Amino acid sequence: MEFKIKQGFDVGLAGRPDTSVVDLIPSETVAVYPLEFTGMKQRLLVAEGDIVKQGAVLMENKAHQAFKLRAPAGGVVSSITRGERRFVERIIIKVDVNAEAETFTRYEPEAVKGLDRQAIIDQLITTGYLSLIRQRPFSQMADPEAHPKSIFVNAMNTAPFQADAGVVAASDPLAFQAGLDLMTRLTDGEVHLCVGNNAGDTLKGAQRVSLHTFSGPHPSGNNSVHISRIDPMAPTDVVWTIKAVDVASIGRLFLDGTLPVSRVISLGGPSVKPEARSHYRIRAGGDLAALFDTSIEEGDVRIVGGDVLAGCEIPRESHLGFHQSSVTVIPATKERYFLGWTMPGLTKMSFSRLFASTWLPRKQDWNLGTSMHGEERALVLTGHYDKVMPLNIMVDYLIRAVLATDTDEAIALGILETDPEDFALCDVICPSKIEVQEIISRGLRMIEEEGI
Amino acid sequence: MKFILKLQDSVRHLFKEGAPFHHVEPIFDAADTFAFTPAEQTHRGAHVRDAIDIKRVMITVIYALMPCFLFGVWNAGYQYNMTHAVPDARLVDHMLRGLIIVLPIVFVSYAVGGFWEVLFSCVRKHPINEGLLVSGFLFPLILPPTIPLWQVAVGITFGIVIGKEIFGGTGMNVVNPALLSRAFIFFAYAKSMTGNVWIASKGDQVVDAVTGATPLGVLSAMPEGATAADAIASGQVSFMQAFLGVMPGSIGETSALACLIGAVMLLLAGIASWRIMLACVIGLLSTATLAHLFGSSPMSQIPPHYHLVMGGFAFGAVFMATDPVSAAATNAGKWIYGFLIGMLVIIVRVLNAGFPEGVMLSILFMNLMAPLIDSFVVDHHVRRRRKRG
Repeated sequence: MEFKIKQGFDVGLAGRPDTSVVDLIPSETVAVYPLEFTGMKQRLLVAEGDIVKQGAVLMENKAHQAFKLRAPAGGVVSSITRGERRFVERIIIKVDVNAEAETFTRYEPEAVKGLDRQAIIDQLITTGYLSLIRQRPFSQMADPEAHPKSIFVNAMNTAPFQADAGVVAASDPLAFQAGLDLMTRLTDGEVHLCVGNNAGDTLKGAQRVSLHTFSGPHPSGNNSVHISRIDPMAPTDVVWTIKAVDVASIGRLFLDGTLPVSRVISLGGPSVKPEARSHYRIRAGGDLAALFDTSIEEGDVRIVGGDVLAGCEIPRESHLGFHQSSVTVIPATKERYFLGWTMPGLTKMSFSRLFASTWLPRKQDWNLGTSMHGEERALVLTGHYDKVMPLNIMVDYLIRAVLATDTDEAIALGILETDPEDFALCDVICPSKIEVQEIISRGLRMIEEEGI
Repeated sequence: MKFILKLQDSVRHLFKEGAPFHHVEPIFDAADTFAFTPAEQTHRGAHVRDAIDIKRVMITVIYALMPCFLFGVWNAGYQYNMTHAVPDARLVDHMLRGLIIVLPIVFVSYAVGGFWEVLFSCVRKHPINEGLLVSGFLFPLILPPTIPLWQVAVGITFGIVIGKEIFGGTGMNVVNPALLSRAFIFFAYAKSMTGNVWIASKGDQVVDAVTGATPLGVLSAMPEGATAADAIASGQVSFMQAFLGVMPGSIGETSALACLIGAVMLLLAGIASWRIMLACVIGLLSTATLAHLFGSSPMSQIPPHYHLVMGGFAFGAVFMATDPVSAAATNAGKWIYGFLIGMLVIIVRVLNAGFPEGVMLSILFMNLMAPLIDSFVVDHHVRRRRKRG
């Protein structure tokens, strides 16, 4: 099926990563960030100085012991950092390239197609890879007991910038197809592969899934949009989603019987040197600092794990997160502009039509920085958010319901069909500088705690 | 410009928590961010943001009001010079005279309104809201040029304090503050808003009754036996005159043409709702047509399209009804809200002998109804969602 999305907006960030893949950068250390696995009750099973194999258990979930976090590479546990309330924040392993690897069940590409659901789930749980599959509502880790009515594989990258699923799939087509085959075994319903209209052959040629093409501005690549158009959720439905990039990782896990050593990520943004804007094959959990040192422009920058719309700021000294598939770097602009409220604004990015730039043909993308371009004000304009909201959601009223902590109303207005990332453009275009994503995620947390 | 920024940075510490001028920090903040865009950085949510902010939005509305303001200044001066038969008055003379009449009103509106806004901001410790720029400018434009300045001060005080601040400030108000200010004067000092008040004049000089009346005033006060159709046929009231607005009336609202230019600016900028404007026009025309075909009151003889250009309708539909805070917020709600405003205007104008004009009251009434309309629309939306699920 083909879907054209009208509402939305491409911010036009400069520095789109190239589609070539630069190969594995050797990494002296790898890290695991246990807090990425939300809801996990930590039981640490290693200590500093321990020698571990690749795939050795570092930590398990007290609440669900089968779920384990494993070492992405073998070596010596060199540091364990604890944070608030003694939660383990980071485990660093000094890599020994000759270290042995823990093995899991290995399957032939043909065998994967007929695999038993429980066998797949078990392997995903014990490796921690189940965390790559997300469950709606609430966008949490998939519940192994749940039976999703369908699984949505997201092979799009409309947010600036995400790894190009086509590039990743093409770099390992066998693993990608194996991963898709595994997905088909996890649901009684269909596996929907959602691609952009310029998708390459690997994506379009995928077998045993239903292929859907989405075109239009961001957020046409968001899961919520795909779900709402293809197979809308009823309040009691459970749907699983996964990034195409992660499908390839899971495929590799089952074909090799060992944890995948590497992962392909994209590096882009205006503050990345033009020649370095590309895709990289990096060691899973690998050190990013070396990559940053050679590829980021001088000056004050903000490094974002993920895309600039819904990603999180990460420090310069950091390792690749388990769920992370892109890094975007933008200038941390602190410049202030004279009489910004009335200057024509030839060089200002805006969704509105209040700047001269909107009325002129755009020749190039924007070097957008971290400026807020204003201060927070009362919510004044109405219906403004709807222009970037392709879901059937009344954004103004949903925000009010959450601010009034009226969870019943928020549910009635459809908050459970959404993810905070769907409101990222509302953050961007809001003239009152309201943090809409934060409000929605607060609402979702509130409902999750209350229980429905 | 760097030295201004340096100057600002050099005094910034005086307004910090614990510093001597901390309690008037909103004033410094307003001046600081007026000169240069705020230094604020994103730290939650999206990392990049649109260049738009509320300052820009409000200033754009002010720009859109400029045609009405400039024409209003000229017209006030022109009407004055005509009444006083000033010899050889040219454009410059009209403008200068008009400025002498209008500027004090605008100044008082801004000064007194600004005082309240700043006071509430300082007490509540929030930044000064730019909404006042618009309210404080809209209000003078819907007043007669003869309005006593103290009434301007009292009116804007009522509008800002009772209409807006007691509800929690900008964004929380139920009705349009500028319109409420006018309604206050309309009822509290009715003499200043009715009769021959529409042309500024020297002291006790009496203005000729016919020239001093607005077209709606003329039509609603037709002598026994004469009809509105006669007045139109005799050229006492002409469509073109009302469209251009060279006639007595509130400062900014006589010219439908100036309002139309303002409307185009607002719609091109994408700030005001085209749905509300269009719905107002549809509501007005359809009701006026019905009244014209079936009505029996003298006012019902006015051809429907005359209603578009007479009185404050154009100004109200473009600048007042579209105030996003007090209008309906849902798309369907905007259609209903606008349509009912247009309809009410005709009901008041045609069926109510007491008031020749009903735009202000129609909009205020629909401001009050807007939340109810929205609530129906949202309920409908929720019911449809349930059905689907």
